[in-house]
Amino acid sequence: MIPMPSYRVRFTKEHSLRYLSHLELIRGIERAIRRAGLPMAFSEGFHPHPKLSFGPALAVGISSAAEYFDMELVRDFPPAEIRERLNRALPEGIKVLAVKKIVRRVKPLNAVINRASYAILLRVDPRERPEIIAQLNKLPASSTIEIIRKTKDGQKVVNIRPWLHNLTIGVKDDDLLELEFGGEIGSGGNLRPDDLLSVISQPAEVLAITRTGLWREENGLVMDPLDLCDQAGG
Amino acid sequence: MLYQTTCQNSAQWVRIYYTLSDDERLTTHDGPRGWEVFSTTGWEKIQNHLNRVAKPGRYIGGEFNALVKDWDQVDLKVALAFPDVYEIGVSHLGLRILYELINNEPDMLAERVYAPWIDFQELLREKSVSLYTLENKRALSEFEVIGFSLQYELSYTNVLTMLQLGGVPLFREERGRDEPLVIAGGPCVFNPEPVADFFDFFIIGEAEEILIPLLRKIRDWKRSGDDKEALFREVAKLEGVYAPSLFRVSYASGGTIERIESLAETEPVRAVVRDFKRVFFPKRWIVPFLDIVHDRISYEIQRGCTRGCRFCQAGMIYRPVREKDPGLIFDALRDLAADTGYEELSLTSLSSADYSRIEELIADACGCFTPQRVNVSLPSLRIDSFSVDLAKKFRSSRKGSLTFAPEAGSERLRRVINKGVSGEDLLTAAEAAFRAGWQKLKLYFMIGLPTETEEDLAGIVELVNAVFRIGKTVYPRTNALRITTSVSTFVPKPHTPFQWRRQISVAETIAKQRYLQEKIRGRSLELDWHNPETSRLEGIMARGDRRLSRIIHQAWQKGAQFDGWGDRFQPEIWWDTFRENGIDPDFYTRERSYDEILPWSHLNAGLKTEFLKAEN
Repeated sequence: MIPMPSYRVRFTKEHSLRYLSHLELIRGIERAIRRAGLPMAFSEGFHPHPKLSFGPALAVGISSAAEYFDMELVRDFPPAEIRERLNRALPEGIKVLAVKKIVRRVKPLNAVINRASYAILLRVDPRERPEIIAQLNKLPASSTIEIIRKTKDGQKVVNIRPWLHNLTIGVKDDDLLELEFGGEIGSGGNLRPDDLLSVISQPAEVLAITRTGLWREENGLVMDPLDLCDQAGG
Repeated sequence: MLYQTTCQNSAQWVRIYYTLSDDERLTTHDGPRGWEVFSTTGWEKIQNHLNRVAKPGRYIGGEFNALVKDWDQVDLKVALAFPDVYEIGVSHLGLRILYELINNEPDMLAERVYAPWIDFQELLREKSVSLYTLENKRALSEFEVIGFSLQYELSYTNVLTMLQLGGVPLFREERGRDEPLVIAGGPCVFNPEPVADFFDFFIIGEAEEILIPLLRKIRDWKRSGDDKEALFREVAKLEGVYAPSLFRVSYASGGTIERIESLAETEPVRAVVRDFKRVFFPKRWIVPFLDIVHDRISYEIQRGCTRGCRFCQAGMIYRPVREKDPGLIFDALRDLAADTGYEELSLTSLSSADYSRIEELIADACGCFTPQRVNVSLPSLRIDSFSVDLAKKFRSSRKGSLTFAPEAGSERLRRVINKGVSGEDLLTAAEAAFRAGWQKLKLYFMIGLPTETEEDLAGIVELVNAVFRIGKTVYPRTNALRITTSVSTFVPKPHTPFQWRRQISVAETIAKQRYLQEKIRGRSLELDWHNPETSRLEGIMARGDRRLSRIIHQAWQKGAQFDGWGDRFQPEIWWDTFRENGIDPDFYTRERSYDEILPWSHLNAGLKTEFLKAEN
């Protein structure tokens, strides 16, 4: 069988649509692809489903500058046209930023993506700011960072230190801090923005959380999922 | 491609997106270095806390085809309210029609609001934010009109929750002329007496042709400075409008109605769409993100039903039967499918298999949509092999179940209710369904129908077993065979031939349900039934009078809401409230005599009492 043309799409999830669950987002995008008149390829069998696969789920309430999905179409389209058609069909809050044709054999997004980066905007009491910054600054040097996660059966203690790869703290205003950090996502571990926030003992109001990117890190090299469509690696 | 950096030292990779060109940046940024601005309106106060509630997607709007009009550029603003959760409310076809109908008027707007779940109610209270509409995020109190759709009696308490959270006084008498008018439509308003004290007026029947003229009258009245009484008298002249304050009800000592006096010499008459072929239907179909209960395009191909089942209110109040043209339906479906990206189209009506050109329509629709991977479906099937043949055409996979509704267990009782199918019909249809590949069938029955005896219940058991035996003959070796028997309790409804009949008590219901639970057993047989106390409350409200407004209000104050939700329903609250008010709930479920003045007898649904009596 001749392989159908496949594309990797980078898109945003923002404004109030950040409150959609992963499944709700998928449902919305699948219908947008249909509205855009892009003919998806379907699986065989009793319940054919469109060949559409998404990257790692984003927690409800977090915006994102870079989410990904792969789709297979039954006809070839120029990536720029796909982007334009999708953006016309998508509701405000989801915007396609880039589309690349997949020209080499690639693993599914969920298998390749192993790093996520986030930014958090925090409102803090200006008097407590130095103490909060000091607390956060200690993290990279710590050998363990133990936090408590809620599970189905109660709580469990998790050491997130191995998953935290970098952290920068920016002072935006007297009472505004911006944390940017990156870490593990996927089968190797899962660093969540809430984990980092739970380290802060002072009251801090979370004004916004954004996933700033999803990546593939391999042998010290960090690659963009889009570049894996046509470059070596992954 | 503006993005060039492929590889970075891992210590720096977080920053990559911040060095991108403007084109690829997030578009939101205009706050403190690129973050959203936080202002002080209700939505802004609440939007950062939505992940504390279940399914926050219920409260954000922003669906494809939702229309946000300029708030300041219209004269009349209508909130369309559905007193149940988002997933149910968005699914409702009637409100979709009215939403677009109103929004097509340049000087009006319509926005949507659904009943907030308990967690979101708490959030609204905690942050002191009013219940808002999904489009412009405005409090209900900011609208000129709030229109509720009353689909079932157990949603009445949610109306009160929504008004209260929306900042609107609950009782009509408490609302001044500058506060919103609260109106309602839907099947419940064929006897709206239990909620009469909360509403300014009701629209009885089909609103499509009268709604805009009615809203224009309201707009003119707003400008005029006249009082509400003047408005009521004016709109009551329109077909379909019922203003309860223009009627005075007095009661005899036993609690029955002594007199219903018309104060303005108006007679509320059900509105009927005259030109159904050209009646308005939405073109901009809202596509939600959530998994709503009817997640498809529902195109109404026919209104009314020829069947005349004596228990069925819909069959009585949507007369006469009217059809749309197949060509028009087909064109509309094609446009809706392309515009929405939906993967399923449903051809809806009370009995779609009775549509005169249903075969032609399904053949055309399947021919066009199946290659596009869009499924076509019918919501209800008649009990015959013709219907099974139709189902074969539009269901490529037989994985789901087929549903048949014999309603009663015996030939005799089916004649009493005018359900003209024989046991033979059911077995033939079931066999056709099994042979066509279905392994799951659902059978709908009612208990408590007039004249029912144990023989009729035994008839249900026999039919279920006979269907099972046929299934076993067709599929001797499978374990996948499943016969689900769904048993609801008959609730007599106004404007039906059975409107005078007694509703069975909770104890009788439980006894009948036990009988079936004991006899319908086996690994392939499933049995569902309705909560008997839920049916009791439904029956009380369905045939209730104006004295119930007080009961509803008090029960709601004690915490009754989402009464239609099994896990939320607290029957004791209701029975306590009745007791405290010295009202016997059984008064409302009892048999009524022909000379009694029924609470809805001043409302003309287009059915002659003589006809209903003859059919009873």
